[in-house]
Amino acid sequence: MNLGLQNLESSAFDVMVMAYILCMILYWVWIGLKKDLIGTLATSVACLGLIANTAAIIIRMVISGHPPLSNGYEFLMTFVWGIMAVYLYIEFRYKLRSLGAFVMPIPVMLLMFIIMSMGPEERVAQAIPPALKSQWLTFHVVTAMLAYGAFAISFGLGVMYLLKLKEEGKGWEAKPQGIIARFPDLETLDELSYKVVGFAFPLLSLCIITGAIWANYAWGTYWSWDPKETWSLITWIIYAAYLHARLMYGWKGKRAAWMAVLGFAAVLFTFFGVNYFLPGLHSYAQ
Amino acid sequence: MKEHQEGAVDKIWRIFSSMKLGLVLLGVIAFFSGVGTLFPQADVDPDKAQAVGKIWQDLGFTHLYSTYWFRLILGFLCINLIVCSIQRFQGIYNRTFKLQPPKNRTNIPKKIQETWKGDSESLRNSVQKVLRSRGFKVIFEENDKQWSYIAIKRRWGNWGSFITHLSFVVLVVGAFIGSSMGFKGFLMAGVGTTVPIHSIQVSHGTVKENFDVLINSAEDRFLANGQRDNWYTDLSILENGKVMARHTISVNHPFTYQGVTFYQSSFINGVHLTADIKGQKVPVILEDRGGNYFQAPGTDLYLVASAITSDPQKPSMLFEVFKGMSENAVQSGQLDFGQTIDIQGAYKLTLDGNSGFTGLQVKQDPGVMVIWLGCALLLLGLILSFYWRSILVTGIFQAEQGNQGEITMGVSTGKVVGGVKEVFDRLVREIRAK
Ligand code: HEM
Repeated sequence: MNLGLQNLESSAFDVMVMAYILCMILYWVWIGLKKDLIGTLATSVACLGLIANTAAIIIRMVISGHPPLSNGYEFLMTFVWGIMAVYLYIEFRYKLRSLGAFVMPIPVMLLMFIIMSMGPEERVAQAIPPALKSQWLTFHVVTAMLAYGAFAISFGLGVMYLLKLKEEGKGWEAKPQGIIARFPDLETLDELSYKVVGFAFPLLSLCIITGAIWANYAWGTYWSWDPKETWSLITWIIYAAYLHARLMYGWKGKRAAWMAVLGFAAVLFTFFGVNYFLPGLHSYAQ
Repeated sequence: MKEHQEGAVDKIWRIFSSMKLGLVLLGVIAFFSGVGTLFPQADVDPDKAQAVGKIWQDLGFTHLYSTYWFRLILGFLCINLIVCSIQRFQGIYNRTFKLQPPKNRTNIPKKIQETWKGDSESLRNSVQKVLRSRGFKVIFEENDKQWSYIAIKRRWGNWGSFITHLSFVVLVVGAFIGSSMGFKGFLMAGVGTTVPIHSIQVSHGTVKENFDVLINSAEDRFLANGQRDNWYTDLSILENGKVMARHTISVNHPFTYQGVTFYQSSFINGVHLTADIKGQKVPVILEDRGGNYFQAPGTDLYLVASAITSDPQKPSMLFEVFKGMSENAVQSGQLDFGQTIDIQGAYKLTLDGNSGFTGLQVKQDPGVMVIWLGCALLLLGLILSFYWRSILVTGIFQAEQGNQGEITMGVSTGKVVGGVKEVFDRLVREIRAK
């Protein structure tokens, strides 16, 4: 019945995968060669990927008639979308193309995970149980997508910071042609990372709250300490600690960068680890 | 003045006014929350929780989130937050409502600062105009040789962290109300049954209300494309036999009566049949997949429905009949709509149609409104903190010759320098242009 649309969706998916892989390579080449043309190309291909990504999600929503949350494939597509949307915004706003080389591997790895571990039958649009038919879930997914996307960016910034710090420690400034020399200075990286976390933290809170509202409508418990919920709370606490440590003890720079990395590890664990490693799962997350 | 011994209250106050303690408590909460996801929890998986080593069970690791020590840590965090908030209140209040223009140049923030010369009157006008038009609230102070001002924009942003912290206390209070008052229960009932509310299976709290719930209908509805639409239960609330309210609920669309909320949570197919036992007609309702059985009075025959087709047009069931404790069915077969068969010569059985069993969560939680209030405050606080940062600009003009003099302006940067500098530079540019 929806065969045409399904083909369109899988084409969009393929275009997206190819665009993201290609732009990752282009960002790497650009950071090594400094050719402006390659940089522009990398950004354009990333935009193309985001367009295809958006198309794939919209077509999927048209086919299934509900927000993209019925299976892991849909979650990952929206997660990748969030990362790319926030990334491209940051690239344009702060003229920070070198960040691409560190952020792009994340969506590419997530997509590889889809391709390698999910067969076609796991990717098709599925009917959702009545419990998932709620407007609150739409907000839940949108906020999660943006928050997680932004945390991925702060992770990339944290990695750049740590790399640059290491190289500067070695006195590499004598080699201005080096890759690291293309990074913004340490303070800019640090502050941007903080800003991104500051943008994402209220969104993560909103994500948890909309999840609670939905759960309360669905079965009358706003919080049931299931592993997925609990790990999202832990992630939230880690970022809250990050914000406080920075404010009160001036944890900037190296320690803040490590906390951004740790925070994103918690995000990934909430996303994957809970489903694959822990007993007694979030019943709809598989 | 004599040094006096720090009293116990002072000591406790001092301990709880430390943010370090707050961060440690948050870390401890995160740690034990994580540990709780590694142990099977008794309310989710009682069998597995039973299998965990005895010490762990005694320490509460299999019901971690409801142990007294976990609650105690949450309580400490609340006290911590309250103490910190009380201590910070005055400071935040002064920074918002009691702003003092700088007395001399050293009070102007140095990190982002600008100094230039000009004429007192015109500088004063342009400072006033530009800052007002940019949405700042400006307070001036003047004495003979100098004037100074302090200007603030988005001053409510100062209250962000305060509101955020209190919201956490509100959330914990809401959760406490929910767990100490109210109840949580479940009922499974077939169409046509009346269930007294205090007879439901309760997993937490006690039911004080006294009304009955009548299940008028229960339906497993499908969409045209074959996917499940939702489960619907039409229920009435009866008090002394009188219908007080009637409502159709479905998953995600609960109904509340006198603070008790009914949530559609599961559904089991069933059939209703008539057993004709020597002329006496007995209505029978059977659940799908042997959820219940019918024992015909005066026999040791047990009838179960091993499968039911849910098609409302053509209901039919596969049945089995057991005798006594025997594992093997003495009779089995299919029974279609309207068909009558004989069961072991003991009675006649007719299939009258489908009949749903609806599973409802029933909850009373007076703390829920407090929780939503806490959520709203949390969001408000975070939005103020992160999206509504206040900007504080100060300046001082000191006359040198007649009306001519030098103005110094600065902006406090707080946590981020980046965006603030842009705003400040634009303000200075506009003021100088006038
Ligand atoms: C329960 C989780 C907590 C959350 C979500 C939270 C959130 C926040 C936020 C959003 C800020 C403002 C950050 C900013 O303005 O950039 C803040 C600041 C602060 N928090 Fe917390 N906090 C929590 C727990 C605590 C605890 C336990 C304490 C210690 C008693 C504490 C003490 C402070 C202090 C002193 C500030 C500084 C405010 C300022 O300088 O403006 N917080 N917190």
